Amino acid sequence: MSALLAGLPVVSIVTFLPLAGAILLAFFHEGSSRTSRTVALAVSLLTFAAALLLFFGFRGVSGLPEFAERASWLGRGLDYEVGVDGISLFLVLLAAFLTPIALLSSWKAIDGRVKEFSIFMLVLETGMIGVFVSLNLFLFYVFWEAMLVPMYFLIGIWGGRRRVYATMKFVLFTMFGSLLMLVAIFALHHAYFQATGHYSLAIADLAAVPLAPGLQTWLFLAFALAFAVKVPLFPLHTWLPDAHVEAPTAGSVLLAAVLLKMGAYGFIRLGLPLFPRAAAAFAPALSILAAIGIIYGGLMALVQKDMKSLVAYSSVSHMGLIMLAVFSLNFEATQGALFQMLNHGLSTGALFLCVGILYERTHTRLIVDYGGTAARMPVFAGLFLVSMLSSAGLPGLNGFVGEILCFFGVFAANKVLGVLGVTTVILSAAYLLWLYRRVMQGPLKDPADVRLRDLDRRELACLVPIIVLMVFLGLFPGSILRKTDGAVSRYLGVVNSKPAASLTLNEVSPPGFGRSVTAGTER
Amino acid sequence: MSILALAPLLSVVAGALTALLLEAFIRRRDHELSATAAILALAAAAYFIARAWPLEPAYFGGRLILDALALLLMGVFVLVAALVLLMSLAYAPLREINLGQLSGLLLLAVAGLMIMVSSKDWLIVFLGLEVLSVASYALAGLRRSDPRSREAAAKYFLMGSFAGAFFVFGLALVFGTTGDLSFAAGVPSGAGPGGPPVTVLAGLGLIVAALLFKIAVAPFHMWAPDVYDGAPTPVTAFLTIAPKAAGLAVLLRLLWPLPVASRAAALYIPVLSVAAVLTMFAGNLAALRQKNIKRLLAYSAIAHSGYLLVGVIAGDGPGLVFYLVAYTFMNAGAFAILAALSGRGEDNTTLADLSGLGRRHPWLAACLAVFLLSLAGIPPTAGFLAKFFIFSAAVARGRVLLAVAAVLASLVSVAYYFKVIGAMYMQDAETGPVLGKKNPALVLAIVLCLLGIIQLGVWPGHLLVLIRQALAGLI
Repeated sequence: MSALLAGLPVVSIVTFLPLAGAILLAFFHEGSSRTSRTVALAVSLLTFAAALLLFFGFRGVSGLPEFAERASWLGRGLDYEVGVDGISLFLVLLAAFLTPIALLSSWKAIDGRVKEFSIFMLVLETGMIGVFVSLNLFLFYVFWEAMLVPMYFLIGIWGGRRRVYATMKFVLFTMFGSLLMLVAIFALHHAYFQATGHYSLAIADLAAVPLAPGLQTWLFLAFALAFAVKVPLFPLHTWLPDAHVEAPTAGSVLLAAVLLKMGAYGFIRLGLPLFPRAAAAFAPALSILAAIGIIYGGLMALVQKDMKSLVAYSSVSHMGLIMLAVFSLNFEATQGALFQMLNHGLSTGALFLCVGILYERTHTRLIVDYGGTAARMPVFAGLFLVSMLSSAGLPGLNGFVGEILCFFGVFAANKVLGVLGVTTVILSAAYLLWLYRRVMQGPLKDPADVRLRDLDRRELACLVPIIVLMVFLGLFPGSILRKTDGAVSRYLGVVNSKPAASLTLNEVSPPGFGRSVTAGTER
Repeated sequence: MSILALAPLLSVVAGALTALLLEAFIRRRDHELSATAAILALAAAAYFIARAWPLEPAYFGGRLILDALALLLMGVFVLVAALVLLMSLAYAPLREINLGQLSGLLLLAVAGLMIMVSSKDWLIVFLGLEVLSVASYALAGLRRSDPRSREAAAKYFLMGSFAGAFFVFGLALVFGTTGDLSFAAGVPSGAGPGGPPVTVLAGLGLIVAALLFKIAVAPFHMWAPDVYDGAPTPVTAFLTIAPKAAGLAVLLRLLWPLPVASRAAALYIPVLSVAAVLTMFAGNLAALRQKNIKRLLAYSAIAHSGYLLVGVIAGDGPGLVFYLVAYTFMNAGAFAILAALSGRGEDNTTLADLSGLGRRHPWLAACLAVFLLSLAGIPPTAGFLAKFFIFSAAVARGRVLLAVAAVLASLVSVAYYFKVIGAMYMQDAETGPVLGKKNPALVLAIVLCLLGIIQLGVWPGHLLVLIRQALAGLI
């Protein structure tokens, strides 16, 4: 297989295949919804297949980016540089895995303007994958910002009653953070030029040049704001429940499963390695915000009347734990954060799919309207329960592994925060199991619910792959953790090193991307 | 060989005269002949600009300068004029605008612009400014049956005359003190003590104020919304781009040679920075409240003057020219869509007219969405790269707060650009204004703008390299 991959720009193919599909779709006839759906699904499946090539070809020993590609683009360091390392690989896979599922889940739910919907979904996929594979800060920003546009349309066109308000809030919140990050990128660009005499925005290059502490603080704050809005960290989370509740199921799934990860990924890829000193200084404050988010999100989830906003607040809580782990800055916590990012993507994605499935049947998301649904939809109830238990961290499922790693790491860093973090287990068990009891058990609430039918083949095809993956990751977490080891140790080496230590250009930056290509493909 | 240096200007003037004569003597109602002559003249001008590229830069004792900046901007003017003519071919018959007069006046205005950007002599610049102004007053009032167009012309004329008077008075002060009419007159280029006399400073201040008026920079922007809104749509496209570009080029020529550490820089940088911030916020905040797209774009054009001024303050010549090219495509594109939306008699440019456009005219809506996204500065469009270069240069010059203000102003602008996109795609209106068949010239203009935006946003390679190399030696 390595011979097959040699010289093939796999990362670019994975990134731009969906975009090519979207452009192709633009020229299709408006009326043929079925064709649009099929083409979009086929393209996204093909993308997933290509992403699997990345997974199987990836070695992850060195911790350096593999499958790296480089091309000069705009000059002055604004270059096209992509590749995957252990940190980004699984997020790329997650995005490529969930997009076909999201498309499949909206097979019936979206029946107007299907062509446009398919186009925006595919463009969104390119944006998401692009953010994760970028190794150049400029390219990262381009994808980070461009991705807002398809999401804006997805929520705004196919969303619920308050969709226009929700989508505008989403865009403005995210933009506010990222525009200040843009100014920080300018400053970084210039600071690198002053320090070295040539331009570069390659992330590895930038991390290699220590910045003055004062500058570091400001730049870190600008980056942190952009990422904190996206995660979202308390108190910047207010866009999230609105966006989630109004978004169509497919939008919610990708928003929760992938877009939120971008914030955490941004901290790991950029915020901490580029500004290690400032990050260390602000880590306690950010950890406290994360801990507040865990408890606040959990408590809010307990009192929600709408199933979707319950899952949305549970995301705030779970992302809080991930951020707590990220700021603990040790090996277990970082491994746990990465693993938990994957888990949260799977379990929250599955939960949103479940809510969407119920909504398609009854056209209500209010918890009080349900009761005894398990009797009518036993298969669905089983899958729903597994998703919940994965989200709540039941041993044997993936959530447990991630949470336990996070807790080990967080306790090692700070006992008090560790105790606060563990409340997520209690809270999530409480709001999820209570939700299950109210919706699934007890007597049938609505006489019309007698006619509820269980999952059809399409819905099974959406949920079962996720469930299988949950069980697999719960039993064999090593399959993932082995591949992230190298990148995580390398990352911690950068973050925890004192800037004054012998951190020269040659030491940290990979010695030319050409070599890492061979490392990734020649076996 | 000096005549070749004048060739772009001469071909445009010849085109203008031909168009006006054809209009007067040929008895055809549609005057497409004049427009054709004008387009041919523009093509000739473009050819001569390309031919003039490697020539040595100064003619007529330094009165005429054909350096890279001048040639690049002339190229921009030709491009704008061509796009405006293509738009007018569709728009003029709908509004009973005399296409022959429009073509002739437009080329005269272009001639004025060309004169403005190709000299370092204040008198020549004034000559160009007046040629431009007279032509643009008439252009704004071309829709004689419409009181708003007449109001626009009157307002533009009155305010423009004031600005012209400022310019002349400033010129008199500078000349009276120094006896010299060149840009360098009285401008202290060193950091040494003993600055210029107060009269020179006052004179330069008046001249700069007149230029800021043309660029529509706050607090000299009050005329702009009414004029942009009242003028015929293709003329608005022209007025929002070309005079602005010329004014900025003159400012850049004046300020670029000054060392950053000089006393003059210490004087003009804070003043222009305040003006730029005021402009960006005045334009963007006012645009937020608009219900009419044409007026919204008028305010957005003011905001873009502010962004462009940031480029001047940062001393980023290449970035400024790149921004102007990108801005030409995105703004002309947006106005071309407005021209395509207008029916016989009414403009159909309220937000309500646009609602549901995404369903009714998917391609038209998609193009407008791209133009608006580019104006908002969303990657991967040309507008994003343009802002990126300019704001980045500001940070590199240490003007971090200015850059922060600029991105925050952009955030405000996102709100109203996205509001228009939202109206097109997220609101349903089964019945909307019925549009006639698309004019091929108009379609060509829209497609050109779209290609320009995508090309410049994704792969600006050649143009970017060309601009950077051309302007590298010009400091």
